[in-house]
Amino acid sequence: MGLISKLLRKNTSPARLAGFALSNFIGLLIIGGAVMFYIDSRSIWGDDESVINTDYLVVNKKVTSASTLGDRESTWFSEEDMADLRAQPWVRRVGEFSSSDFRVYASVNQGGRGMETALFFESVPDSFVDVAAADWRFEPGQTIVPVMIPKEYLALYNFGFAGSAGLPQLSEQLISGIPLKLYMRSEDGTRSMQMEGRIAGFSNRLNTVLVPDSFMQYANSRLGADGSVAPSRLIIDVSSPGDVAIADYLSSHGWEVAGDKSGSSAAYLLKLVVGIVMAVGAVITLLSLFVLMLSMSLLMEKNRSVNHRLLMLGAPLRKVGAPYDAMIWVGCGAAWVLSVGALLALRSLYAGALEGLGDTSDGLLWGLGVSTLLALIVVGVNILSVGRKIQSAWGLRIGDAG
Amino acid sequence: MTRHIEEITLDSLLPRVFSREELPYSQVWRRKVSFRRGARYLVESASGGGKSSLASFIMGARRDYEGKILFDGRDAAMFSIADWQELRRTNIAYLPQELGLFPEFSAIDNILLKGEICGDVDMKRVDSWMERLGITSRRDYPAGKLSIGQQQRVALIRSLCQPFDFILLDEPVSHLDEANNRLAARIVEEEAGRQGAAIITFSVGNPLLIDNPEKLTL
Repeated sequence: MGLISKLLRKNTSPARLAGFALSNFIGLLIIGGAVMFYIDSRSIWGDDESVINTDYLVVNKKVTSASTLGDRESTWFSEEDMADLRAQPWVRRVGEFSSSDFRVYASVNQGGRGMETALFFESVPDSFVDVAAADWRFEPGQTIVPVMIPKEYLALYNFGFAGSAGLPQLSEQLISGIPLKLYMRSEDGTRSMQMEGRIAGFSNRLNTVLVPDSFMQYANSRLGADGSVAPSRLIIDVSSPGDVAIADYLSSHGWEVAGDKSGSSAAYLLKLVVGIVMAVGAVITLLSLFVLMLSMSLLMEKNRSVNHRLLMLGAPLRKVGAPYDAMIWVGCGAAWVLSVGALLALRSLYAGALEGLGDTSDGLLWGLGVSTLLALIVVGVNILSVGRKIQSAWGLRIGDAG
Repeated sequence: MTRHIEEITLDSLLPRVFSREELPYSQVWRRKVSFRRGARYLVESASGGGKSSLASFIMGARRDYEGKILFDGRDAAMFSIADWQELRRTNIAYLPQELGLFPEFSAIDNILLKGEICGDVDMKRVDSWMERLGITSRRDYPAGKLSIGQQQRVALIRSLCQPFDFILLDEPVSHLDEANNRLAARIVEEEAGRQGAAIITFSVGNPLLIDNPEKLTL
């Protein structure tokens, strides 16, 4: 160690530097940890995003005894309902569900064992379904219809039905490959149609058997009873799922949200909590930045006359600044190394829960990236302020000479 | 900037604090004076005449003056901090009246520190100077524990340990007896002679006894 460093380090307080490193470490850990956790958990909450966006809500009116007794219109959405809904600030788009106005029977024939069930179809505007356009299309003349079924249906079959009926369990991939025979017939039985269905996707959030809108129009026009019906379910693209105003609006109208809405509320809550945690981390980091600036300032104020004397001997500014800069690097470096270690440890705590979700190193990279960036900002700001202090020590002030 | 500076010119220089006062006779203030490399000068003044101010102005430590200071025609007011630092390391040595030693450092470390800033110190020369000035036995004492006279001798040796074209000595022997004053003067003359440099010494009444200096009254 050079004599200049030895001279300038005389007034250093290791306790203050350690205090800074600790608080900076905590700040970096909290921010880095929050970012890491948020990115990692996105792969859980965003599970269904590839098919149906989590910002979509499916709503229907409550089914009452009146509906059961034949007043079907009580569950229909009127023009006024729709207009009022579209006027809400949290609504981006509203799509109507169309339902099949004919009977549907589906059968599967697998290795000589058959299974047949009565079915129904619904459709929503194609823009609400994020399946690749090529897979989600129907044109008259086509013999294959893409179908989307809820994940739960498959679970019901695999764990409820298959076992008791002595049927094999089916994976998503397998069932997507099995052709589905569809027999459709009009209510009065005079017209009918046969087609092949193919599972194009599984949905967590739409509790229905979905077909492309174009197919629904085509089939309804051929087999339907001609009487137009108002929609009884709506799909809404909302700007902030989990917003209290949405729940208030829906409950005041007696409407229900179908499907798993907890996902979006939980995702919203998660965002909120992560946001709060990050803000706390940011405040702590900011405070630690000031702690370091303050203790460096104090040190340089104590050393001002020493700095001045060194500068009078011709020492270059950067040579006088170097020992202070080194202290900043050591303090921030220690905090950074600790935060990297802690982030790795933190991640190993919940890494098990992420297994099977594919490539999940993004969260760690983001967390480390953010904490590294912040550490560098703290270093940069402090080195700049040290440089300014040394420049000010270059000029003479009373008491500097001695 | 390893080139030498041949001439320092003071052009109508005046400390700002004096600008409204009636000045006594002065050969420096408000006049044009040049210090030439290789020459010897003794600047004498009464207390409060501004001799330390003049040294600070020339060293760039203070700028509260009117007029100009020119280094080979270059206006010092235009120098950057880096220019000044370079000038202090390679052209102008300075022994301030307050000495500017680091009291917690030993005498020799004070000198070696200068080497860290200005380049290698010739230890043989340093040792012989310490020997001649009688402070060899205080070599490893903290500078702060030495007597003022001893400190002056350490600081004098330190000021010589660098390349210079001019050496400014502000009251360098105020606490030395005449014998030590003469020894110090010989050493400064030898080193300045070796480097071809000018000696500018300031005094209020106990000047460094260099040979035949050009005298200027502040």
